[in-house]
Amino acid sequence: MLWIKNAHLLDPVNRISGRGSLLVRGGRIVKVVVGEELTAAAVLALLGCSDLAEVSVVDGAGKYLFPGLIDAHVHLREPGQEEKEEIKSGARAAARGGFTSILAMANTRPVIDTRALVEYVRLQGERAGKARVYPVAAVTKGLAGQELTEMVDLKAGGAVAFSDDGKGIQSAEVMRLALEYAKLTGCPVISHCEDENLAGAGVIRKGETSARLGLRGIPASAESVMVARDALLAKETGGRLHLAHISTKESVRVIRAAKEAGIDLTAEVNPHHLIFADEDVPLTGTSYKVNPPLPSREDQAALLEGLLDGTIDLLATDHAPHTWEEKAKPFAEAPFGINGLETALAAVWQELVAKGKLKPERLIELWAVNPARRFGLPGGTLAEGALADLVLFDPEWREVVTAETRESKSHNTPFLGKELQGFPVMVWVGGKLVVKDRKVLP
Amino acid sequence: MEWRHRNLLDIQDLTAAEIEFVLQTALPMKDLLTRPLKKLPTLRGKSMALMFYENSTRTRTSFETAAKILGADVTIFSVAQSSVNKGESLYDTAKTLQAMKIDLVVIRHAGSGAAAFLAQQLKAGVINGGDGEHAHPTQALLDFFTLKEKLGGLAGKKIVIVGDILHSRVARSNVLGLKKLGAEVVLVGPPTLLPPEMGYLGVKTSYDLDRELPGADAVMALRLQLERQARGLFPSVREYHRLYGLTKERLGKTVKETIVLHPGPINRGVEIASDLADSACSVIEEQVTNGVAVRMALIYLMMGGGSSRVVD
Repeated sequence: MLWIKNAHLLDPVNRISGRGSLLVRGGRIVKVVVGEELTAAAVLALLGCSDLAEVSVVDGAGKYLFPGLIDAHVHLREPGQEEKEEIKSGARAAARGGFTSILAMANTRPVIDTRALVEYVRLQGERAGKARVYPVAAVTKGLAGQELTEMVDLKAGGAVAFSDDGKGIQSAEVMRLALEYAKLTGCPVISHCEDENLAGAGVIRKGETSARLGLRGIPASAESVMVARDALLAKETGGRLHLAHISTKESVRVIRAAKEAGIDLTAEVNPHHLIFADEDVPLTGTSYKVNPPLPSREDQAALLEGLLDGTIDLLATDHAPHTWEEKAKPFAEAPFGINGLETALAAVWQELVAKGKLKPERLIELWAVNPARRFGLPGGTLAEGALADLVLFDPEWREVVTAETRESKSHNTPFLGKELQGFPVMVWVGGKLVVKDRKVLP
Repeated sequence: MEWRHRNLLDIQDLTAAEIEFVLQTALPMKDLLTRPLKKLPTLRGKSMALMFYENSTRTRTSFETAAKILGADVTIFSVAQSSVNKGESLYDTAKTLQAMKIDLVVIRHAGSGAAAFLAQQLKAGVINGGDGEHAHPTQALLDFFTLKEKLGGLAGKKIVIVGDILHSRVARSNVLGLKKLGAEVVLVGPPTLLPPEMGYLGVKTSYDLDRELPGADAVMALRLQLERQARGLFPSVREYHRLYGLTKERLGKTVKETIVLHPGPINRGVEIASDLADSACSVIEEQVTNGVAVRMALIYLMMGGGSSRVVD
């Protein structure tokens, strides 16, 4: 049993915002009280317990208590590339970053395109016993973009969405069929919007920075033309579409228009696209190399506007671990991807929330409430009776990001060696304490 | 002037005065090249490695000749012979060079930023012999030397650079340096090879060569990679040559004495007509000679002008 007191409770769904107490029993939230102090006797009565020694009491003074965040876009690399990340290390990194649930993408080796593999990912997540791991299964066999996977069986094995993320589905007809067939499952199809002809051999956003650095540019249209295509296909099929890692102002415009037209689509933005721009990329800074590439400042403004006006529904890390050796190469040769789970929340807090650009309530909507709704997951709420997936967040906690303190097996983040402010200090999953004083418990 | 750079990665890293200093130092070096006995003991005992990940007979030979005249020992790592082919990373190759206590490394690599990457790993100095589409500072220096020699100076001179600007490290380094030296630069090419983002260079850009030629003191044609046609960047050599190829007749439009430069190797009949390439206006061969002189100057300065600085 657990009594968290004096924390600033925050739950936009149930309009909870204020100092109070939260009680947990049997892995679920049993009582939320805001605006009044509970006596020990009252707590015991509410928990149906006779001795306060049986209750863990946490003083959350000066801290926020959120629903655990849900990250809809994570690459865990297992099976096949365990040198970069494992399900266990990824689930631990997630917890340390404030995420109590994560969606694991299917572009592993082998690709998660059969029920046995979906179940493997789910079970490995359960064995890790930290953040909940929900498998995303492939849309097409082997991510080849041709034949659909057995979506119904995959869902039965635990898949919560379908995606060929890592690669865009180049054939419009295959995407159309996927949106149609996925209706059998009720699960969204997550689209990685990238037209490979337009992206070509590009490694950074096409613009003055790509020209200055002599790096091949990826035009913004490589993403936005496919966003438009998929929005139209979702309209035509009535399928459920979720757009991964949106990074251009044109995409935001298309999504806004699509929502006005009543199309069933949602979209996510990655923190790095909000924080870093193409002009920030150093020629040897391969930790900034990511796909879609870092956008222009104008794009960033449009992305933030979309986050605030509801055009964009989710924040998601696109956690993409890569080893040091792979990144220690000339820019064009290094793989795409930024390692995000352990820094994303702190970075967004420091750069957007602390600067008044994003309200804490909206952050919770974007990173807990909306992903839970879109993918049909528990969590994202402090409602009584809900799973006790909780984050105690200290906005004052400062920490230098170092390889030694991290849980992820890789450290490919532009924040390595830098200080961030605002971190989760305690995290519970189903009422079980998994992070204490910034350390993931064994 | 005291030389303060351990590396030469980008012309942008040099001030106008430093560029002039290299060019001044190259003058006596060029005299040396005309002597019957072309060997100096200046850098005896110094070691230099040439790492060429891209084929380049011209630049590699130029560096090799320059170093040998100055008496340095030169080791050539070319991709075909080295362990690079066995999958060794640039990082590990750098570690190997470091262990060999080499004093100066020249790298030519297809990846933009490869020279900067190597410089981060090495205590030895690094000269960028051309990295991807990013920079080619020694080519720019030899072009400046040639232009100064022929035009008497660079301030106020009009230099037209024509061709595949987008993919050209030569164009980038030339523009950045020529701006510092006070020249007026105009970039010319078709829109597919001169997209709007090249505006970052801060010089005039144009799609019309004939309109830009009047008053040009020098025209630099860039090598056209013919495989760009397969990527759809230009429709045919025929149309390219018609619009952007240099010919004697077209050069007449400058209405003054104009010199023609080309970083080589030339595609005769594509970016430059054969008879023009071999004419008196052409300084293409002179560029090659000057390349050795300028590289001698640079190696000399970077090796501490014959001091006993030790790489450890």
